[in-house]
Amino acid sequence: MLEIKNLNASIGGSEILRGLSLCVRAGEVHAIMGPNGSGKSTLAQVVAGNDAYVVNSGSLLFDGQDLLALEPEERARRGIFLGFQYPVEIPGVNNAYLLKAAFNARRKHAGLSEIDAFEFLKLAKEKMAMLDMDPKFLNRGVNEGFSGGEKKRNEILQMAILEPRLAVLDETDSGLDIDALRAVANGVNALRGPDRAIILVTHYQRLLDYIEPDFVHVLSDGRIVRSGDKSLAPELEEKGYDWLREAANA
Amino acid sequence: MKPLLSIDAVRTAVQQLPDNGLAAARLAALTRLDADGLPTATHEDWKYTDLTRIVDVSNRWLAAGATTMPVADAAVAAITDQFAASWLVIRNGMVDARSIAKFAQSDVRIDLLSASDKALECDAPLSGLNVALLQDGLAIRIPANIEHAGTVGLLFIDHAAADVGVSQARIVIELEGGSAADFIEYHSSTGDAAHYANTVIELRLADGARCNYVRVQDRQAGHDQTGRLTATLGADSRLQHAAFDLGGNLVRNDLDIKLVGRGSATSFSGLYLAGREQHVDNHTRVDHLVGPTHSEQEYRGIAADAARCVWNGKAVVHRGADGTNARQANHNLLLSAAAEIDAKPELEIYADDVKASHGTTIGELDQGALFYLRTRGLDEAAARCLLMRAFAEKIVVRSPLPAIRQTISEKVAERVAALIVGDAK
Ligand SMILES: Nc1ncnc2c1ncn2[C@@H]1O[C@H](COP(=O)(O)OP(=O)(O)OP(=O)(O)O)[C@@H](O)[C@H]1O
Ligand SMILES: [Mg+2]
Repeated sequence: MLEIKNLNASIGGSEILRGLSLCVRAGEVHAIMGPNGSGKSTLAQVVAGNDAYVVNSGSLLFDGQDLLALEPEERARRGIFLGFQYPVEIPGVNNAYLLKAAFNARRKHAGLSEIDAFEFLKLAKEKMAMLDMDPKFLNRGVNEGFSGGEKKRNEILQMAILEPRLAVLDETDSGLDIDALRAVANGVNALRGPDRAIILVTHYQRLLDYIEPDFVHVLSDGRIVRSGDKSLAPELEEKGYDWLREAANA
Repeated sequence: MKPLLSIDAVRTAVQQLPDNGLAAARLAALTRLDADGLPTATHEDWKYTDLTRIVDVSNRWLAAGATTMPVADAAVAAITDQFAASWLVIRNGMVDARSIAKFAQSDVRIDLLSASDKALECDAPLSGLNVALLQDGLAIRIPANIEHAGTVGLLFIDHAAADVGVSQARIVIELEGGSAADFIEYHSSTGDAAHYANTVIELRLADGARCNYVRVQDRQAGHDQTGRLTATLGADSRLQHAAFDLGGNLVRNDLDIKLVGRGSATSFSGLYLAGREQHVDNHTRVDHLVGPTHSEQEYRGIAADAARCVWNGKAVVHRGADGTNARQANHNLLLSAAAEIDAKPELEIYADDVKASHGTTIGELDQGALFYLRTRGLDEAAARCLLMRAFAEKIVVRSPLPAIRQTISEKVAERVAALIVGDAK
């Protein structure tokens, strides 16, 4: 589904991703771990199409199509979703309005008719119940004044409504209390399916107790330096990253 | 150098005006106009706005015989039908007598200025021009203790086709002690020839009076306007004002508020949305003459294309006006490299125990927010539109007259959309 080859990307003149390759097939869940500043968010942003990052070389294919030729919104409509590490506050833009606009943009692209306000509200409330979220969040500004955990839940709400084919969740588990973590895990597990894939960027084994990944990768200095199955995560928790860096630089 | 308004031509035009109760005032204003001329860029209050274009349109109009064109009823109805208000209509500077008749049974007392004994304010440079060429105007009075006199609409509508047009309009509004009334001041125009409209409104709130006031300017793309509102607030009176500049070409608004009575307070706001080569200048001035008095203002604007916007907000707290509060804020979005914004807060404080603050920002659309919206499937134009509307809506929601907010909000949305497509209007 997603095929990244030798990706080299920079921001502000500094090279962050240096020859990163990753292959994600439909039905799979991949966890990406790695030290702070290693380029995990950069990868997520490049997949979503943030043009603040310059792709110097390499390729990025989604269902065989060149992602680099697509605008962020075109990627979204084809089913790519990015859960931001730092969701943006957009005062004055109504949360429900954005959710509905996003949902309808995706439907329109798929050749489906737009959903009306009443039907949409029903859907949103259903998803919010699953995520244990108060419906009052619908009427607030997008992430406006939300607590850290509330913002993350709101990202998952968007994901649950949009039902993307590929979800890239950038540290959606950071800053969550136990209940929220469980709610987020429920949201992600509900999305799991043979036609979908999920990339979880995380620092903690904790999330992976709830969402079992098929693969765990370690990203260090802009490259994937180790890939393994779910047993790699506890190993990292125990040993840290230094041994991998040394091995990679050797 | 003074912009050279042809005074002889003005004098000829004045002589052609109906010989009513304004004749003496016109001649006095003409003498003053002749002495003072019109302001130039060397005049501190006019350094951002060049009146050459307005002088040129006026001279052409004078040379062509200073005629007044009719304005179609349909154009009037197109505006008045949008708002629940009783409308007074001034067409190309001519008071529509039929619109006055409707008020016969109401709490609102209306006279023609020519039939009243009002001394007309002539202090500002364009106020003199206004009186000199004034056909007639309106004096509106809300008698004391009328709890709510309803919503009065003031429509200034102009039409210029084939020949250029110029119009002057003036309204004096008095709210007597303890009375309350709401006003919608609407400026509109039609036709493809050049036009210049100059309006002056004098608003006097006696002790304890309360006034909500919304001004909307949505003139034709090629039409120029200068507008001035002076307000005097007596003890414990309240003025809430909001202004929306959506259309027009060269636009200059002066809002001049004097807090003369203890306990008087005003809250006012403005929104200007400018594209093309529009020039929109808002000068506000509040004089706190006694204390405690309160003023609070927030203006916001968006400049796209090659537009230029000016906000100059002055608050003067005079000696002895102790215990006064004066706050001002001005926020701008600059959308193109060719657009320009001048934002100038001015606080002058000569009293003690004063709380005063100002904050001014000029920025671009938040790139992070734009990207976030696009990752949710909104195309760039829709995302920009959403952010601009959110920015503008802050002024819509704080404006008085909640009943008309929805209509205003729709006009704002329409204007924002036009700014995005490189401007249609
Ligand atoms: N505008 C910029 N100019 C230069 N360097 C930048 C810029 N933005 C980000 N970086 C750098 O890029 C590197 C990678 O950042 P990135 O956010 O991808 O790391 P990360 O792996 O997600 O880290 P974390 O675990 O802390 O979230 C960091 O060293 C960061 O400082
Ligand atoms: Mg990160």
